[in-house]
Amino acid sequence: MRRGELALYAIGALTAAALASSVFLLSTKGISATVAIAAAFPPSLLLGCIGLASHYLCRAMPIQSSSRGSIAASVVGSAAAASGLWVLTWKSWIAILDRRLAPDYTLLFGLGVLLYVATVAVQYLVLEIDISREAEEAALRYRVLAREAELRAFKAQVDPHFLFNSLNAVASLCGSRPNDARQMAQHLADFFRLILRLGALERITLAEELDLVTRYLAIEKVRFGDRLKTRIDVDDAAGQCLVPPLLLQPLVENAVRHGVASMVEGGTIDIEATLRDGMLRILIDNPADPDRADHRGEGIGLQNARGRLHTVSEGRAVMNAAETEGRFRVSIELPR
Amino acid sequence: MIRTIIVDDEPLARDVLREYLAADEDIDIVAECANGFEAVKAVAEHDPDLLLLDIQMPKLDGFEVLELLDRSPVVVFVTAHDEYALRAFEVHALDYLLKPFSHERLRAVLERVKQQTGREHTPVAGLAASLRAKPLQRIVVKHDDGTIQVIPLARIDYVEADDDAIVIHTAGTTLRKQQPIGDLARELDPDRFVRVHRSVLLNIERIEKIELYAKDSRVAILRDGTRVPVSRTGYARLRELL
Repeated sequence: MRRGELALYAIGALTAAALASSVFLLSTKGISATVAIAAAFPPSLLLGCIGLASHYLCRAMPIQSSSRGSIAASVVGSAAAASGLWVLTWKSWIAILDRRLAPDYTLLFGLGVLLYVATVAVQYLVLEIDISREAEEAALRYRVLAREAELRAFKAQVDPHFLFNSLNAVASLCGSRPNDARQMAQHLADFFRLILRLGALERITLAEELDLVTRYLAIEKVRFGDRLKTRIDVDDAAGQCLVPPLLLQPLVENAVRHGVASMVEGGTIDIEATLRDGMLRILIDNPADPDRADHRGEGIGLQNARGRLHTVSEGRAVMNAAETEGRFRVSIELPR
Repeated sequence: MIRTIIVDDEPLARDVLREYLAADEDIDIVAECANGFEAVKAVAEHDPDLLLLDIQMPKLDGFEVLELLDRSPVVVFVTAHDEYALRAFEVHALDYLLKPFSHERLRAVLERVKQQTGREHTPVAGLAASLRAKPLQRIVVKHDDGTIQVIPLARIDYVEADDDAIVIHTAGTTLRKQQPIGDLARELDPDRFVRVHRSVLLNIERIEKIELYAKDSRVAILRDGTRVPVSRTGYARLRELL
């Protein structure tokens, strides 16, 4: 329902309520219904409009953030004012119409206050329903966004080239080394399962992340053969540190795709992690062809890693990426 | 016999091609290469009928290999995944194999290849530019002695036209390549390299300042002090960009 329509209904309802009750009041004095309606209609319509204006009072004083006292005070005050106006209208209207129709003004005043307060209560109720519905919608939107982000992250982690090339390797092994083909299929399944599981977590240990990295490298080693060598050197203490999941995996993937894969003779990817003085230091170092084609600026993988580190550490983590003399080196310092 | 060269940097990818090809009596594998340099050399040496070519490889990618070939074998790209490239292949009626591929698919491709060999077919070298989905990232030059040089764009100050050739200026050294400057201009990222003059493509990162030289003609002074002519239309292009 649109806002204008709603306002019309509200005025209508309140006017009808005021009309019905005051006609009843007049009929107790033996006044005919037609005359009573003619007498009661203008003041009732006025009360209906005033009642609608209470909408702004309800908006200005939200039920959650305003004190009960101040709400009560302003409701009572505005109810008295509204009812006063309604009684005043009655009086002037009766004066024009016929003084014999004069109702009991005390009773009328009480009726006005009652109707006004009821209107305010209904307004608050409607506002509350709106607020909770909005909150529900926002929560839903957030859940959808979070899910999308998850999927995007997953897609970003998994380079389609990696998947198709790995499947090609499996197809190749089937002909010559079926047992190795089975093992490669197993590696792939383990890797994808792990990436889905870890990706859904808030924090994981560095050891868990390196387990994922190791599985990834095992697959790439089947593809690249002797060209890909790795050395991983991690302190036990460093392995127990908590890191955001899938922080290193894309960086290591970069080290393979843009590093070792760009070298005819291949090379070694070095991964080191130490914990000293409450600071986790991680280093990824790999050879890279300075003349490679995709050599320009900071790639999406690095930017993502930098952004996530910044968020999880509230800006205290430092990440550096530098390329010198054919080696690409990413270093991360993350306070524990 | 169809003299064939396999080019792929992954040993297993070469294995499966070799295995499938062995089933075809008409195929004679004369060389297997693990990177683009080897491929260019092997094609010059063996003059094959068929080249099975991977795209992502160290040193030279598949497109750069095409560009450097003096001879034109039938080329079949063997690639993992590259939507844009695939569309380009289809436009030029080039065959490709999507990894992983079935034996049947390879057989079908070989059938078509057999119809093409022995017949005149379009030279492939000119296709490289239109197959590449994104702007050129580096320039490859083959010297008379067969050595290949790769120059990343970031290292280039400016490129000058010299008849039908270009002269590439990089930090004090120059390199000559047989290519019309207009062809190169079309392949470069227009936000990085600007045709400031009919015969000059300038790396805009190198510009220090631009001075008025004479009425209606300007000169760009580069970081290293080199002076490069800037025409009126060239200046308009620069102003639009900067």
